[in-house]
Formats: sequence, structure tokens, C-alpha cells
Amino acid sequence: MDPVLKVSDIKQYLYCPRIIYFTYVLPVEKKTTPKMEIGKEEHLKTARLEGRRRLRAYGLTEGERFFNTYLFSPRLGLEGVLDMYLAVPRGSFPVDFKNTCRLAVNHKYQLLAYALLLEDQLGRPVRGGFIYLIPLGRAVYVEATPEARLYTKRLLGAIRGLIGQEQFPSLPRRAGRCADCEYRNYCGDVG
Amino acid sequence: MYFLADDERKQLLRYYLPKARELGVAEELRGWNWHQPPLEPVYGAVLALYEVAGRYCPSGRDVFLRRVQGIRGEPNLAMIQGAVLHDILADLLVAAKRAIYLYGTGNYRAICEALEKYAPAPPLPSTGLSEAEAADLLGKMEILCSFERARVLSRLQEVLARHPYIGEDSLANLTIPVVLEQKLNGAFLGLSGNLSTDAFIFSEPMILDLKFGEPRDFHRLGTTGYALVMEALYEFPVNLGCIVYGEFRGDRLIVKRDIHIISDELRQWFIEERDEKARFVAEEIDPGLAGDCPATCPFYRVCRPGG
Repeated sequence: MDPVLKVSDIKQYLYCPRIIYFTYVLPVEKKTTPKMEIGKEEHLKTARLEGRRRLRAYGLTEGERFFNTYLFSPRLGLEGVLDMYLAVPRGSFPVDFKNTCRLAVNHKYQLLAYALLLEDQLGRPVRGGFIYLIPLGRAVYVEATPEARLYTKRLLGAIRGLIGQEQFPSLPRRAGRCADCEYRNYCGDVG
Repeated sequence: MYFLADDERKQLLRYYLPKARELGVAEELRGWNWHQPPLEPVYGAVLALYEVAGRYCPSGRDVFLRRVQGIRGEPNLAMIQGAVLHDILADLLVAAKRAIYLYGTGNYRAICEALEKYAPAPPLPSTGLSEAEAADLLGKMEILCSFERARVLSRLQEVLARHPYIGEDSLANLTIPVVLEQKLNGAFLGLSGNLSTDAFIFSEPMILDLKFGEPRDFHRLGTTGYALVMEALYEFPVNLGCIVYGEFRGDRLIVKRDIHIISDELRQWFIEERDEKARFVAEEIDPGLAGDCPATCPFYRVCRPGG
């Protein structure tokens, strides 16, 4: 049976497919890196502050916020805990907090996976979501276009394929990412 | 074929152009970032753009056979027809431009006459077509020419009627605002140095690709590849592509246009395809037979000698 994937797997797969291998095929113990610790702290701080802020950063005037919502879709075989979602009269929008100044591609598809999950949960179309860039205090809107939805599902298929084939993936295209990776010690071919 | 209809132009201006600007593209997926991952080529193998963008062979074995084994496939009828029809359209449009420069705006009747006289030559015997196939193709060439000739003449008259002081260069550009068979060097992205787009509109800017077969989802990979190469070469964003599908129904030509945004997803898909196929070539990996080989595949007899 296919394993239930986590939304963060999409981010990890795009960052480096070997993380998926070390998570599902050959599970190993991992260390928390300082980068992860800082990210976690900033996340909590942002969630605390968000509760008191208005929705101007999202270009919205009125709406309700829901924090740390657990989402699961048996159809997609996917689960995750969403940082926040906004429910406004014209629809609902997932929000993912990121401690970065620049929107990365892996963050985009993580958010889209949340959008798909939220859509299943609410039973209503979700047209897009926001990535909240913590250092800038700015939210970037990402539209869930038909192509982006398909690509996100393709990514889920690719992750399942990697797990099913149990093949050790080749080095990622960005070798610089290995510098602060928690799995670095397990990759024999990384200097 | 490359001139948009009024409703398509409206769709382009009111939907695709603003939408493309609104959606944006991840900076790392812009062609001008060819020098860093993920666009930076991983392998030394140089591929033609059609090899990356063509997914007619589901496993990509065609690239392995051509590049590693040095086997040349046998072009099928659709490929021969497509190549001839592409050439004839480019030739007609270039002939129109040539006539404008040759006769000038003062002698526009001569331009019209030259265009009206333009007739396609029958397909050469070297194409390997049977007599019936050659006759069928000639019929299609005539339909295509008559369609395009009428459109060029109409555009020429319209431009002349609107601009009384127009010169030859502007007349040529306003009548046929596309560059045909634009040559591009794809080396920055690990692609061939001799790429050629069917047509390119600089004013939008938009890559145009002409097809005479069934629409397939991976056709958009072609326009995506050219857009990335354009961005790498000229450092301006190319956000739009358009695939023009021509279909012959009896003596009529049906034209459908698939305008699309060169989105993050298409860019990612193109890079994945490039890397996968370049790996087959660089590491000499045979990806194996596809499960569902199309019988029209140029390598069908190589992959399935008994089949």
C-alpha cells in the first residue's frame, strides 16, 4: 500500500530527493540543524503576532484566521498541518509562514499541496494561497492554476515512485544545499 | 497561420499578457539564470530541442538510439508532410517580405501580383513519398498557400490603407510581424547551437510553433524550450507561447491556436526532461522499451524488429 505522504515531503523532494530516501526507504536518525531551530522559533513568533494583526498584508479587509489546522485527504494520500488559513467571503486561502526573503520553487508547491488539501477538507474550490515571508512581513500570492495543480500531483507520483523503486537518487542539482543539510553525514559522495 | 484572430488577440491582451505578469516566474527558472542550477546543464551532452521536447517515445529511447547508438530513424509520413508544409509556409511569407522590399510601397500592385503568382512546387522525389502521397501533399500545400496568400494580401492592403506615408521596412514589419525560422544558440542550456523557432513575435514577445498533427500536452515543451533559450540569449522575459495546429479537412484548412503561459511548471518539466535525456546520452544508459510504442515511431523497426 502507498504510504500517506506529508506536505513537507514535496518541499524536501524538490530540495533534495535523497531526503525522501532517508525518510521512507532507509530511515535514519537526523539532527536538528541551527537553521531549523531558528525557523521554528520565527514560526511560533509569527503565528502569535498574526492573531493580533489585520489582513492588510494579504490585500484583504475582513476574514477569519484558523491556525495549525491538521489536513488529511485519503484521495490524495496526503496529510499536513497548515500554519494558517484565511476564510473570507470570496473563499479560503492557505497561508504558509517562511523564514526567508525570497519565494523558492519548493515553497510554492508545498503551498499548492496545502491548497489541494484545504479544498478537499472544505469541499469548495481554493483558488490560491499566500506565502508569508517573515523577515519582510510581506505575503506573496500564489495562484493554483490548473497546470500548477497537475504538477503538484505529478510530484506526489514522483515521490511515490522513488519510495516504491527504493533507488538511491543521484546528487541534487544544487550541491550547495548540502552544506546545512541534516542528512549530510549519510551521503558518502558529498565532500 | 501565425496571425491571431480578433478574439484570440483579445484573449491575449486581456487575459494571457496580464495573467503572465501577475503570476510571475520563479527567478531561478528564468533563462538568464542558465549559469546556475537548476538551469545549468549537469551533463556535457548536447541535445536538439526536439529531442528534449518530443515525448512521442514514452521512455525516451529514441534519444539514446540516435545519440549513443548513432542510429537514424526512418521519418514517417506525418514527419515528411510536416517538414514540407513548414517550409512552404516560411517560403511564402519570406517571398511576401521580399516582394515588399523589391517593389516598394509605390508599386504595391506588383507586390500583390507577385504574391498571387506564388505557387508551391510539387514535393521532390527525394522525400520518398509514393505518387498518391505526393499528390495528396501537393493538394495540402496549395490549400495552405491559398489560405496564407489571402491573409497576407488582406493585411498588406489594410496597412497601406491606414498609413499613407509608410516605407518598405515598416510595411514589411506591419504586414508580417514575425521572424521566421529565427536561429538561436541553445548552448547555454545544454542544447544545440543551431536551434530554430518556427516563428517569433518580438512585440509581445511570443514563441510560435506550427504543428500539423494531433495536439499533445508535451507540445508546449517546445515553446518553453525556445522561451528559455531566448531569455538566456537576450535577457528579456518571454512569457508566452502559441502552438498553431493546422488540420486539413477535405479542401479546407482548420486552424486552432493554443496560446499558453510559459509557466514555472512547464519550465520545470522542460528541465527535468533535458536532464533525464542528457543523462541517457552522457552515461550511455538505455532507458529500455516503452510499454506502448506508437507504430509510426521512426525507430519502431529498431526497437521491435519482429513486431
